[in-house]
Formats: sequence, structure tokens, C-alpha cells
Amino acid sequence: MIRFILARLAWGIPVLWLVATATFVLMHLVPGGPFDQEKPLPPEIRANVDAKYHLDQPVMMQYLFYLKDLLHGDLGPSYKYLGRNVNDIIRDTFPVSMQLGLWAVLISVIVGVGAGIVAAARPRSWADHAGMFLATAGISLPSFVVGTFLIMVFSYRLHFFPAALWEGWRYGMLPAVTLAMLPAAYIARLTRSSMLEVLHKDFIRTVRAKGFGERQVLLKHALKNSITPVVSFLGPLTATLVTGSFVVEFIFSIPGMGRYFITAVTNRDYPLIMGVTLVYAVLIVLANIVVDLIYTWIDPRMRVGGN
Amino acid sequence: MIHRNWIKWAVTIGLILALAVLFVRTSARVPPGPAEPTFRMTLSNEPPTLDWNLATDSVSFDVLINLMEGLTEYDEQLRPRPAVARSWEVSPDGRTYLFHLREDARWSDGKPVTAGDFEYSWKRLLNPQTAAEYAYFLYDIEGAEDYNTGKADRPDSVGVRALDDRTLQVRLRKPIVFFPSIVTFMVTFPMRRDIVEKFGERWTEPGPMVTDGPFVLDEWRHEYKLTLRPNPYYYGPRPALGKVVMFVVNETTTALTLYETGDLEMATLPPEAMATYRGKPKYFTAPLLRGYYYGFNVLKPPFTDPRIRRAFSMAIDRKEFPAILKRGEVPASFWLPPGMPYHNPAIGLPFDPEAARRLLAEAGYPAGRGFPTVTAAFNTSPENSLIAENLQAQWKRNLGVEVLLDNQEWKVYLKRLQTDPLPLFRLGWGADYPDPDNFLNLFTSTSGNNRTRWKNDRYDALIRSAAADPDSAHRQKAYDEAQRILLEKDVVIMPLFVATQNWVVKPYVRGLQINALELLILKNVRLERP
Amino acid sequence: MRFLQSNPRITISGGFILLVCLAALAAPWLAPYPFDQQDTHSILQGPGSQHWMGTDRLGRDLFSRLLYGARMSMAVGIFTALFAVLFGTIYGAVSGYAGGRTDNILMRFVDLVYSLPDLLLIILITVTIGRGVLGIFLALSLVSWVTVARIIRGEVLKLREFSYVEAARAVGAPHHRILFVHILPNTLGVLIVTLTFRVPAAILAESTLSFIGLGIAPPFASWGSMANEGWSAMKFYPHLILFPSLILFLTMVAFNVLGDALRDALDPEQRMR
Repeated sequence: MIRFILARLAWGIPVLWLVATATFVLMHLVPGGPFDQEKPLPPEIRANVDAKYHLDQPVMMQYLFYLKDLLHGDLGPSYKYLGRNVNDIIRDTFPVSMQLGLWAVLISVIVGVGAGIVAAARPRSWADHAGMFLATAGISLPSFVVGTFLIMVFSYRLHFFPAALWEGWRYGMLPAVTLAMLPAAYIARLTRSSMLEVLHKDFIRTVRAKGFGERQVLLKHALKNSITPVVSFLGPLTATLVTGSFVVEFIFSIPGMGRYFITAVTNRDYPLIMGVTLVYAVLIVLANIVVDLIYTWIDPRMRVGGN
Repeated sequence: MIHRNWIKWAVTIGLILALAVLFVRTSARVPPGPAEPTFRMTLSNEPPTLDWNLATDSVSFDVLINLMEGLTEYDEQLRPRPAVARSWEVSPDGRTYLFHLREDARWSDGKPVTAGDFEYSWKRLLNPQTAAEYAYFLYDIEGAEDYNTGKADRPDSVGVRALDDRTLQVRLRKPIVFFPSIVTFMVTFPMRRDIVEKFGERWTEPGPMVTDGPFVLDEWRHEYKLTLRPNPYYYGPRPALGKVVMFVVNETTTALTLYETGDLEMATLPPEAMATYRGKPKYFTAPLLRGYYYGFNVLKPPFTDPRIRRAFSMAIDRKEFPAILKRGEVPASFWLPPGMPYHNPAIGLPFDPEAARRLLAEAGYPAGRGFPTVTAAFNTSPENSLIAENLQAQWKRNLGVEVLLDNQEWKVYLKRLQTDPLPLFRLGWGADYPDPDNFLNLFTSTSGNNRTRWKNDRYDALIRSAAADPDSAHRQKAYDEAQRILLEKDVVIMPLFVATQNWVVKPYVRGLQINALELLILKNVRLERP
Repeated sequence: MRFLQSNPRITISGGFILLVCLAALAAPWLAPYPFDQQDTHSILQGPGSQHWMGTDRLGRDLFSRLLYGARMSMAVGIFTALFAVLFGTIYGAVSGYAGGRTDNILMRFVDLVYSLPDLLLIILITVTIGRGVLGIFLALSLVSWVTVARIIRGEVLKLREFSYVEAARAVGAPHHRILFVHILPNTLGVLIVTLTFRVPAAILAESTLSFIGLGIAPPFASWGSMANEGWSAMKFYPHLILFPSLILFLTMVAFNVLGDALRDALDPEQRMR
């Protein structure tokens, strides 16, 4: 088991290197540079700025400089936020996004699995139809519309929750619900179809025949045998949610990391683009390892390390 | 067995997840009702830096103007008046300024503000190693440009010197009558060598940061909020506010909702809210020194022909812009905005579609027939989109000309303007300091910001001579003529409107100063809660 | 194909989508105003007899813009989904069928694309090609084919082990024949279902692009760009957001219901119920 984890982690290093390289190439292909601005710099000053950040060097040299710093765990200075390092920025903002993201994961799992079970328990009933309609609705509107609507109803009219900002747990509710909407809907569908499939398996009939109650059949036997697709969805989902969402952080004014996936690119803040991409890639790699581990716990027949 | 095992792990994972949620740093609870007078407002984005030598943008300026004071500051008419400098005198040839500093100006750690702090700051600004984008603000000082561009190695030849702790001498390479306006600008604020050298790049964080204005920086939660508290050593009256909180809120709609739910003392109004709030007692509007224009690249056909440029400008009914944007924008065919000295509303081409069509016909395109396809370019934003779509419709309606629109993301757009300006492009200009030179210098042949590729010797000469002329009648004449060349004769740009700022402010807020440079001055604010 | 007639879910959702497509095609005849005709005297009017759904910030008729917006949204949705499914299928099928080292390399590339910031790719493409339908369709396709590739690879891996495939291999059928004749047709059900789910996903992705400021270039409209113009005015001019959201919502639901119904109908195991 430990060998498997170590092997996967070792495999993650070339993946991260590839991600770093591809991102580096892509961002330099996009026209415009970090110091092109409305009131352009006189050429002499521009030369000074470029020299300070090695931008006067060939791109290949910049790449090598970057990799060298990266090996020391230094993600470099931000070009946009002077005097701040990318390490600082990620340290300040990632915990916020992570907290919000974990809430969203929790909400989407509870709501999604719950709705999926209810729907699967009585297929074609009104509960099934209503649940699935809501699940469809959850993936049918852009999150900026959903978020604004929630603000209008729950803070502006009802004053239940704050409209925006990040001053305590109450401030996380509306954004977490907005974030959870889409994954909850998806998880509900996954759970429902997977459970329906399992409920028609022979062993469930055996269990039923043994006289177990319906609740026990559903929760104890059917659920644990139908959770695999949900788990494999949860891996990348968690990685995505904990790195933050531009739209939600923007609308709710939350100091998270998600905004940088957009603003770092529009600012051409090269080190910050690299930084957030790498954090995301690391989480994806980790999430995939965790998902594989969970598979083996759920079903030891799926051997680790593949065939 | 398999299943029991699975449940065990599921419980473990669930516990880890729950612990993670609980133990991730939770932000402090909201304090129950502010006991001290607190003013809460928003910034439209995180200040890129609070190092005033390096800052370039209006958000940083909004914060710094409340933390810092320079040699001079603005009065209500945006004229420079004494601040840290008690008085100043100019030599007869107009090339040497002597600033006399007040005795009682103090930094927030109690040390006096000295002339040496200014000398250090300015030389740091000009030091090529600092790589300050606004170093060229001081290029009119003797030796400054040479030092900044590396032609001179040492700062000794730069014409700024602290004669003693209270006297700052500035020698200029040519007479500049508006120099006291230039030193209102943040990049020229004094700076403490000991602090900067001790803390390096982190000196702008709360704690190390030392300032000489009415407030000090108490907390800076990056990307989220800044907290200011009164500076105990400030020489002026102590601010009535106990605390200022500036939240970083990118979205104006969000800010307005926060204002409505009582989480802010003031908010800026988005266009869609104007109809609801205009005329209410808490509504507040003020003009800005910010012009919005479309320029021509005069080297690109068909705009090489001044008749066509003039036709395009005369085919625009500028009254439609305030109707669309709804923020009380001032339609402008002139370039120097109202509120700027030497502003003249009589300058500029009128809206005259018939004359415009005639001009186009003279140029060989009667009723727009045979006119080549041209593209108007702008950077992506909702407001720019509305204006561009309206212009497109107006040119079609009034000239019979089809104009394509091309919007590009900001950085891409700027790169394009610098390397190969599009035939028809949008830009804006906000005043750095309220002197016409700051607006008209843009279009001189030597300006790095002139994207039109237009060169006019007469225009250059007018701007140059006006900058050195202390006689205001002469300056008025020179600026009028320059604007006429720019807007009526050569028609290099088409000004469209002057922007405004619109706010809602809670009724218990008193003494707020908002000026045309988008600066919010908080030192006199009081809260009079019922 | 009898299930198509007997299944009301398919009839209703499919009928609705067909209706939207027809309305999009017939927009020039159905729309009461040109989509870009401005009237500065009737800016931001609510719904009324002149303008059924009201007007936008430039005084343009919202109903006409919704009709034309349908063209953009449906075109972006359908073409993106088609490309993603086509390319993703070939990629995933080759990867799954080849197996071994090839499969490993191809799938690591998929992982790589997954880990890259979408926006970098999208800005790069829209800058190069422009923000027309083509640019947006290409940009969205390039970030969405990987999902399809994974699904199809999984299917092919499963089918590869089936006895009739092994039999074909045993009699020496060439690889491309096995892949295209014996394996891929059996993934058709999954393909159709994937397609119906990719379309709404792409339409929604375009609306997020509009939010970032990279959506359809003005003066053209898509439902996403209209929702983006409307969301911030929800409190002041609700009609700006209500109508685009409503049609977006209904279309999304229709596609998803269709996808679900098709899956139920095409999946023999579930059909038993």
C-alpha cells in the first residue's frame, strides 16, 4: 500500500513538471505582457522593470530561472502586487477557498446522496420526479444568476444571511450553497442511477428475502455498493472546489484563491498564473490518488497498482 | 468483512473532513455593533501596492491620500495649497523652487518630517533600480531624466537637495509654472530611508509602515480589507473617526447591496441603480477630471483624410451617452473637462449630420457609398460595449457607414495600441494632477501616450510654451488654440463625454470630501448617528 | 426506435428543443425588430405591448434579441458538443483499444489538459480567432473533449473484453475494423446520451465566458451574454434577467430530461424495470 502511494506520488512529479511547462508555454503565447498598461512606460523605465524580473532574457532562460526557483519551493514575486510573493498570496487565500470549498463538498454530498436515495427508493414516484427536477434545475442556470438570486432573497429581503464579505461562518452559507448547487445535482443523479442498478442485483433480493427492513436494505446494503461513481466524481470535484471559484468569490467578495485563475491571466502575472495552476495540479494528483485508495477500501477486488 | 471495513474507513474520512472544516482558520466573528465611530467603504480592487513611489493607480491613491501628506495638497478648487510645505518661493527665472517645511509635521512614529525625507523619496523614485513607472513625473528636475535612464550613474547631479531639515531646494531644467501641482501627487510624498532599508519590500505592511498623514494603516488583509486608524502624531486636528474599513469589493452591485443591508457607510452607484437613487437625499454626484474618447490613427486610410475624420466626429450626437449610461455624464466635444483650469466649453465640433454627410460626399463617399469597411476597437467592458454599439448605430444612421466592432481583452488591446494602433480606437484619460498640461501633453509628438501617430509642430510649440508661461491669459490662449487644432482642424480625437462619480452615502455621514480626481478625503468625516 | 413514440418524456423534451431550434432558424422572420436596432428614447422599458419582453440598456427589443440569441447559444452548444464528442470518441476509443503504453501516454495527456487553466487556452484561442461563434466554439471544444475521451475509453475497455470482439480478433480482423465495426457501434447509446449532456454544458460554459468578458462579441447576443447583461440589474430591471434565465433554464431542463430519458430507453439493463 505504502509502495503504491509512493509510486503514485513519484509519478506526480513529472506530471507537475509537464503542467508547469505547458502553462509556461501557453501563457507566453498569449499576446500582451505584465507591464503593458494604459499609461505606458518610457522605454528606459520599461527596460529597468524588465531587467528586475528577468523579462529581458530569452523565454528559455526565464523558464530555467523559474524551474530553479520552483525546486527551492519559491514561486516567485507577483508582478501585479508589488512586494508580495506568490507563496504569500497562496498562503493567504487558499485557506479561505478551502474552507468554503469543503463546506460546499459537504453540502453537495449530504444533499446529493440524500436526494439520490430518496429518488431511488421509490422510482417514478412524485418524490423521484420532484427530486430529479430539482437536480436538473441545479445544473441549468449560471452560478452568477443563482448567487445573485440567493442574495436578493436571503439577505436583501429576508436578512437571514449577509450579502457578501467574509467575517464568520454565516458569511459562508450563501456562497457555499451556490457552489454546491451543481455538484449536488450531479451527485443526486449519480446516486440515483447507481442505486437503481444495485437494487436489482441478486444479493439485494437475498437481503430482502431475509426480512431486513427497507430502510436497512437501502442505507446499509444498497448504498455502500453503489457509492463508487460518487467517490470517483468527488475526487476532482474536491480539488476544483477547494481551489475556489472565480464567479462565486467575485459576486460574494470573498478573499479566496479562485479569482486568480482569471485575474492572474488578465494581468499576465506570470508567476501567479504558474502558482495557482500548480496548486490545482497538485490537488488533482492527490485527489486521484485518494480516489484510487478509496476504491480499494470499498472493493478490495480492485487491486491497487492496476493489472 | 469487506463491508464492515468500508464503513470504518468511511467514518474515518468523514471525521477527517469534519475536522478539516472545523479547524481551518475561521475568520473572527463580527464585532457586535461598532463602539467607536467606524467608516466602512469599498475599494474596487486590491491596491496593487502602497509604496507611493511605485503606485500608479487610483485605488492605491484613494488609500494613500488618507495615510500620507506631501508638500502640497488640493483645495476645493483643486489648486495646490500648503500641506507639509508651509510656503514656497520661485526664483525669477522660474527654474528654482524653495519649499519651507512646517515645524510640527510628524511621522506616525513621532519623528519629524524633514526635507531629507523628500530628497530620499524623489531620488529613490528616480533610481533606475526602483523601476518606478511614474519616475517621469519628475523628469523636469535637472538631471532627473539622465539619472533615471542610466546616462548618469550617481544621483548627485539630480536637482533636489535638502538645504537643511526644513528647506527643500528644487532646480528645474526649464520653467514649470504648475510644479506645486505636480507635488500633490503621491509618487512625490516623503519617505523614510531607515524604514525602507530596514524592512525591504515589506515596509508597506501594517506595523513597519510609517506615514505622515491623518491616518495610519492598522490592518491589511490582502484582497479583502484595509483598516485605518488615526495617526496620533498628525499635526492637524485629530480625525473624528476611530476607524476606517476599506473592503475590496469588485462588483458594484454587491457593494450597493451591502450598503442597503447596513454594512457600508457609502457605495458607488452602478448605472442600473441610477433611476432608483437619483434625487434621494443620500445621493451624491460629482464630476470627474476624466475624459472618454475615440482616436484615429491618422496614418491608416481612410482616416488619412481630415474631412472623413471630421465627418465621423460631427455625426455623433453626444447627448445619447448620458441617456445610455445614466450617470449624468457630461457630453463633451471639448477635451479639457469642466473643473480643469482653462476649460472652454465652446471648443469642439457640433453634432451636424448634414454637414457630416456633405464632408463624406466631398471625400468621395456620398451617403457612405463605397466607404471601406473600418473597425472600431475598444477594450472589453460593459460600458465600453454600450458606447461602441451606440456609436456603430449612430454612424450607420447619420453617415450610412458600416463600422465593425472589435473588442479585446485589456492587455491584448494595449499591446496592439502600442505596436500597431487600430484605425479607430477607444481610450480614456484621467487627470494625475489638475493642470491642462496633463491632458494636452498626451498628443504632442514626443508623448509616449500618443497613439494617433499624429505630429503637429504648432501644437507641440503651443503646449511647450504654455507650460512655462506664468501668465494665465497667455496660457488660456495657447490651450484654446491647441484644442482647436486637435479637435476642429485636424480632428485627431473625438471626445465623447466627461465621466462622473455617483455615490450613495448614509445620511449620518458629515464632512466627506469627494473631489474631481476621484479622491476620497476622510480626515474631516464625522458620524452623527441619531 | 419504437420507444421514441411511446415515451412522453422524450416527445416533450425533444419537441421543445426542436421548437427552440426552429425559432432560432426563423429568427429573422419571427423577430419584431432587428436585434441591433437601438432606440434611445425607450431604454430599459419593462414588458409592454410595444416590446413584449421590454428593452435593454440601448433600447433594443429583448424578445428579438432572445430569438437571435438562440442561434448563437444553440450553435455554440451543438457544435461544441459535436466536436467534443467526435474528437473525444476517436481519442478515447484509440486509447482504450490500444491499451498498454499507448493508452497510458494518451491518458496522461488527458490528465495534463485537465490540469491546465481553461482560461489560458480560451484567451489564447479567442485572441487568435476572435470572439465570434467559431472562436468560442473552438475554445470550448478544446477544453471539453477530454471528458468525453475518458467516458468512451471506459466503455471501450469494457467492450474489448466481450467474447464477440475476441472472436473477431481471433479470425484476424484488422484493428480499425474491430474498432469501428464491432466496438464503436455498441457505444452509440452512451454517445447519444453524452451528446445531449454536452450541449447544455457548453451553453452554460458560454454564459460563464460572458461573465468573464470573453463571450460572444457585441452587438451579437447569446442567452449567456444576455444573462450576463441582466444579472446585476436583478433588483432594478428584473425583466433583463428573467426572460433570458427562463429560456436558458427551460432549454437546459429539456436537454437533461432528454438525456435521462434516452439513457433509460437505450440502457437494456434499466429497461427491464
